Amino acid sequence: MKTSILACLALALPLCASANPILESYRTAAKQENPAFKDFSAATGQKFYTTKVGALSCAACHTDSPMAAGKHASTNKEILPLAPTANPKRFTDAANVEKWFKRNCNDVLKRACTAQEKGDFMSYVLSVK
Amino acid sequence: MQRTLIWDVPTRLFHWTLALSFALAWLTTGSDRWLAVHVFLGYLMMGLIGFRVIWGLLGTHYARFASFWYGPRAALAYLRTVLNRTAARHIGHNPTGSLAIYILMLLTLVVGVSGFFTLGGEEQQGVFAGTISLLQSRTFKKLHELSANLMLLVIIGHLSGVVAESLLHHENLARSMLSGNKMAEPGVPSATSRWGVAALLLALILGFGFWWFYYAVDTKLDQMRGEQESPHVKFIGTPLADNPQWRAECGSCHLAYHPNLLPSVSWKALLAGQAQHFGSDLALDASTSAALLEYAIANSADKQLTEASYKIGRSLKLAEAPLRISETPYWVKKHRKITTAQWQSDPIKSKANCAACHLDADEGTFLDAAMQIPAAPAKPKASQ
Repeated sequence: MKTSILACLALALPLCASANPILESYRTAAKQENPAFKDFSAATGQKFYTTKVGALSCAACHTDSPMAAGKHASTNKEILPLAPTANPKRFTDAANVEKWFKRNCNDVLKRACTAQEKGDFMSYVLSVK
Repeated sequence: MQRTLIWDVPTRLFHWTLALSFALAWLTTGSDRWLAVHVFLGYLMMGLIGFRVIWGLLGTHYARFASFWYGPRAALAYLRTVLNRTAARHIGHNPTGSLAIYILMLLTLVVGVSGFFTLGGEEQQGVFAGTISLLQSRTFKKLHELSANLMLLVIIGHLSGVVAESLLHHENLARSMLSGNKMAEPGVPSATSRWGVAALLLALILGFGFWWFYYAVDTKLDQMRGEQESPHVKFIGTPLADNPQWRAECGSCHLAYHPNLLPSVSWKALLAGQAQHFGSDLALDASTSAALLEYAIANSADKQLTEASYKIGRSLKLAEAPLRISETPYWVKKHRKITTAQWQSDPIKSKANCAACHLDADEGTFLDAAMQIPAAPAKPKASQ
């Protein structure tokens, strides 16, 4: 933990964010999905995060800021912040991340997300400070 | 004839406290909200009987069992003389009244003990918490109700006797039980007041009452300070099974409803349909799904681990598998008085938010005493 913080201090921000192994596995998947894949974009991820499909969007439950706690749309249950800066447990368990992508992409988009979308989303959320 | 002290102060205090306790216990029957009061009265009455037994051995003349040690035959014989209006006046207890006293004391013990067993089984509280299953406690509940009804009958008999005797002998027996005095020939034994014992008894009653209801004062104070309310009566029985995986998986979107609230057929249907869980694909992998189902079945309503399990299960038809707890007939009946406006108000908002009123929702026990409808914010006046 300490070394990673030191590494973050020493290196540029984008490099620091991409140190997440889950993001790296999405990078590999994205390359397989699309041979023309270049890189993930936090800006595209931010747009994805706020884009509404019907009444729903990522932001609808997770609030406009991934740093803030949200509320479940129908049960009113508290949702802890998404951004690892505010909640270090986020994006540490690959199976859990994949479960939530499957669940929430289906909720909002009514389809599975592509590796590109997941990577962009993660790049954005990991970059929020 | 001269005014003579017959009933000492402790005897009178015992009599009226017991009478008032019975009346209040009768009024708080079957009420979740007043359960704490009902149970308090139960303990109090048992304590009073304990005192009366001691006072029957150590008290003043007319309080002692020795002064009214009549058998049932004498009681019936005396009753006959009352009915044909030839009954002799007794300064102390008459034989029929004595029998009523012994029966009432005995019935108080039966009502009390069966009540404690009911409390132990249904609410997992009190002296018998954890010693008895819910199903076993059903028998005690029937006994509790039966003996309390019987007690009411004997009390009616006792009151009829007081009225009949008062008319027959031209004296107000009820007033004597208040003042302690009766008109008697010179030379009959008289009692002494025994204020000290009465003060001790009163101190014990009030002390027990204060100790028991301290939470009510404390809760109000906490509310004023804006602190979290604590349950009315603390749960002291065996806690229900808990499972970290269940908590993590179910608890991320809603209260991790304890599996004892739905039958196993419901849990099977819910997990089989996890890809369409109220509009969401839960995306659970096979091993997680299997582990959750195993835990749910082991603790489902079928096992009747709690009063809620038993009653939810009983309210369903055979093999009926509701997907929502709030669809079970028992749940619907229990919540029928809650208005739509109340459901929508802060901090309830949703029927899924059990914890807004049930302080023990997270543990899954749903005890009567842990239920508190939160104070509603200032209500706008009805405009109908």
